[in-house]
Amino acid sequence: MAGLLKYSEGTTLLHRANPLSKVLLALCICVAVFLAPHPFVLMGIIGVEVLIGLYAGIGRETLSLLSGLLGLGLVMCLVQVLIIRDGTAIFLFVTDRGLSTGVLVALRLVAFAIPLVQMLTLTRLTDLANAAVEVLHVPYRYAFTITTALRFVPIFADEMNKIVEAQTARGVSFDEGGIFRRLRLMLPLAAPLLISSVAKADDTALAAEERGFYLRTRSSSYKRYPFGAADIVVFAVGILIVAASIIL
Amino acid sequence: MSVCTACDSTAIPVIQLSHVSFAFEDTTQKNNSLHLRPYALHDVSVDINEGDFVGIIGPSGAGKTTLTSVLSGAVPHHFKGEFRGACLVAGIDTCEVELTDVSQIVGSVLQDIDAQMVSANVEDELLYGLENFGVDHEQIMQRVSEALEAVGVSDLLRRDIATLSGGQKQKVAIAAILALQPRVLVLDEPTAALDPLSSRQVFDTLRLLNQTQGITVVVVEQKVALLAEYCQRMLVLSEGTVALDGSPADVLTHRQELKFIGVDSPRVTRVSNKLHAKHLLDESCSFLTTDAAFTGIKNLIADNKAPRMADFEPRRSEDAFVVQRELDTKAKQQAVLSFDHVSFSYGPHAASVRDIDFKVHPGELLAIIGQNGAGKTTLTKLMNGLLKPSAGRVSICGLDTSVARTSQIARHVSTLFQDPDHQICKETVLDEVAFSLELLGVDTQIAHSRAAQTIKRFSLPADVAPFSLSRGQRQIVALASVIVTRPQLLILDEPTSGLDYQECMVVMRAVKEAREQGCAIVMVCHDMEVVYDFASRIIVMSDGFNRADGNPVELFENSELMKQASVAPPQILGLSSKLAADGYIAYESLSEVSDIVTITEGLVR
Repeated sequence: MAGLLKYSEGTTLLHRANPLSKVLLALCICVAVFLAPHPFVLMGIIGVEVLIGLYAGIGRETLSLLSGLLGLGLVMCLVQVLIIRDGTAIFLFVTDRGLSTGVLVALRLVAFAIPLVQMLTLTRLTDLANAAVEVLHVPYRYAFTITTALRFVPIFADEMNKIVEAQTARGVSFDEGGIFRRLRLMLPLAAPLLISSVAKADDTALAAEERGFYLRTRSSSYKRYPFGAADIVVFAVGILIVAASIIL
Repeated sequence: MSVCTACDSTAIPVIQLSHVSFAFEDTTQKNNSLHLRPYALHDVSVDINEGDFVGIIGPSGAGKTTLTSVLSGAVPHHFKGEFRGACLVAGIDTCEVELTDVSQIVGSVLQDIDAQMVSANVEDELLYGLENFGVDHEQIMQRVSEALEAVGVSDLLRRDIATLSGGQKQKVAIAAILALQPRVLVLDEPTAALDPLSSRQVFDTLRLLNQTQGITVVVVEQKVALLAEYCQRMLVLSEGTVALDGSPADVLTHRQELKFIGVDSPRVTRVSNKLHAKHLLDESCSFLTTDAAFTGIKNLIADNKAPRMADFEPRRSEDAFVVQRELDTKAKQQAVLSFDHVSFSYGPHAASVRDIDFKVHPGELLAIIGQNGAGKTTLTKLMNGLLKPSAGRVSICGLDTSVARTSQIARHVSTLFQDPDHQICKETVLDEVAFSLELLGVDTQIAHSRAAQTIKRFSLPADVAPFSLSRGQRQIVALASVIVTRPQLLILDEPTSGLDYQECMVVMRAVKEAREQGCAIVMVCHDMEVVYDFASRIIVMSDGFNRADGNPVELFENSELMKQASVAPPQILGLSSKLAADGYIAYESLSEVSDIVTITEGLVR
């Protein structure tokens, strides 16, 4: 999780494009995913996503994300197959309707999640927040809340890791039993994490306040976020993907 | 505006506190009326002049952090409560203006460095305040690069904050404040999470800013010896009031008062205090650093025209005999812990330890010392089974850690982690301590009665929520819950960091008792005075290698080795080996304040 949302440095078209264009591209792909009627179209979209990843130099991250999501997709597929009873039976309890819906749901999940994560890997959070404030007139306090929350994710993951280590060393056996047993053991540990995170959030609020949080306006940001040639290309790709998913 | 304030700044103190009292609001009370906690500060009146370097010390709960909050305007603007008296910064009453008006004059760095940061990378962190305060965009980049250069981290501009070391983060935080060109810089325990070398670098940076840019520095610090070297003025807080105020030399001569308040004084200062008491040294001369003590003692002897070679035999510290006796009995006992050519690596470019080979016997207290990143914590994790060796073998009481489950290992080994908050998870102190026993399969009732005994020993409140206690008390709760299981091996990771002197003594006394009962102890510690006072043996780590293993006195006197590991030896040993190297061999291997004083007395009289 910590490595997943880490910004990856680069100078490709996607790095240079306006953060909002990247969000739009990601949203376009998501829309296309829902419009796509057929598993093969979804596979095509996933293929495009992998190509985007390779182009932007985050190929390895994309592939590892893909394999993780495929696992999750498989579970979703199984659940659908178990739930959906109509259609003709193929073997045992599996029906053709169940199987086709299951595959579709699984592929949708995979195709839907990848562009959002890719977008966050290719955009600095502060850039995203600043652009949202400048262009979309989003109130700065909301933008700050969201970027801070995302920034805290790896910090809290690290804290949780240390808490689990400390408890393991005491003899809490996280290393045996199934996932539910482990979850039951982890749950009480959320309390200390919550206490320390509330204190941390309050300190951050103070640190931001002391450096002029309330004085910030739409034009405060040193960096500007105009739209340029790169953005036109990104828009075009986004529209193309939506159109393709409708036509096919 | 800045020109006009600069010319009359010498006349008016930049900070004036008059009769300041503050009590925090008690948020645990539910009804609407204002409930207050006891006064955190009580009738504090202090003036701080422009260009001062002020150090604030005091036991935990003395009001140090509250005082920094008053200076930065966080009290009363961010923290609610009852504020009496007045705090003027550059002549402005902080109560009558906005917080941001105060923070343009007083920049503050909070204790929790991760919380201090508001951005994900260094450049944005520096831009943040400049953008908000509306600094002309033409000047912004220049201000950023000047600030980074001033603290010596220009190379970090493009880095993500998550990838920085603790010392680097601290410097970036200082740079981000510095870019706003404040007149006063207030820091709350900036070195709490740092190793000795990085701590010194942070203080060097502060001194540089103080001297070259005339910035007033106010810093709260637990490391008294370090602070004494850098600050010009020292305030000692006790129970919300200023107990002592003066130059470090003045303040630290009040040994008895400091002891009563609960503040440690540097060992070399204790030497000069004792020499004052014997009327051997002029009262106006106090030692704050090892170097000063070295010159001071040399001059003292030279003035008295004493012969360089001492007439009497240098006295061996009694500890040496104890160690020898221990070595004799140890050979007969079986090792509790053994590392057999152990290597471990987190990855091709990450930290690692290589070919570590040693044994620990019952009753030993082994201290592992070295810089951050030398592999000390990795070693402790290999001991309690959190990490498995990639080569070699670690065994605990005969258990091979790479086959045994961590829960099995936990029957023999207890670990006190650096941050007690990672360890504490129950609702009352009693449950917390009993939980350690229950995890090992001890019956609930027996566990509770044994836990109750341990809690009583540390005079902790049994029915209170651990998180409502102070940081030091929580550390003692965590210690109680690792000691209650009577482990054969006790691992301590920075057991004294963040504790005040008295809390530190409570922890170390308990450790000493456990050791006397035959428990083997492995301790990672940055405080060389603690290491020297309590360790029977040390291992010096650097770059993942075990550089030396042996008697503390011998290794600390090996200046080559200390340099290689970037470790400063304990003050008294540093002083005695310096004097011995200069020809005063009577001082050789002296490690106690009283020994130095006795030898000096003998040479002078």
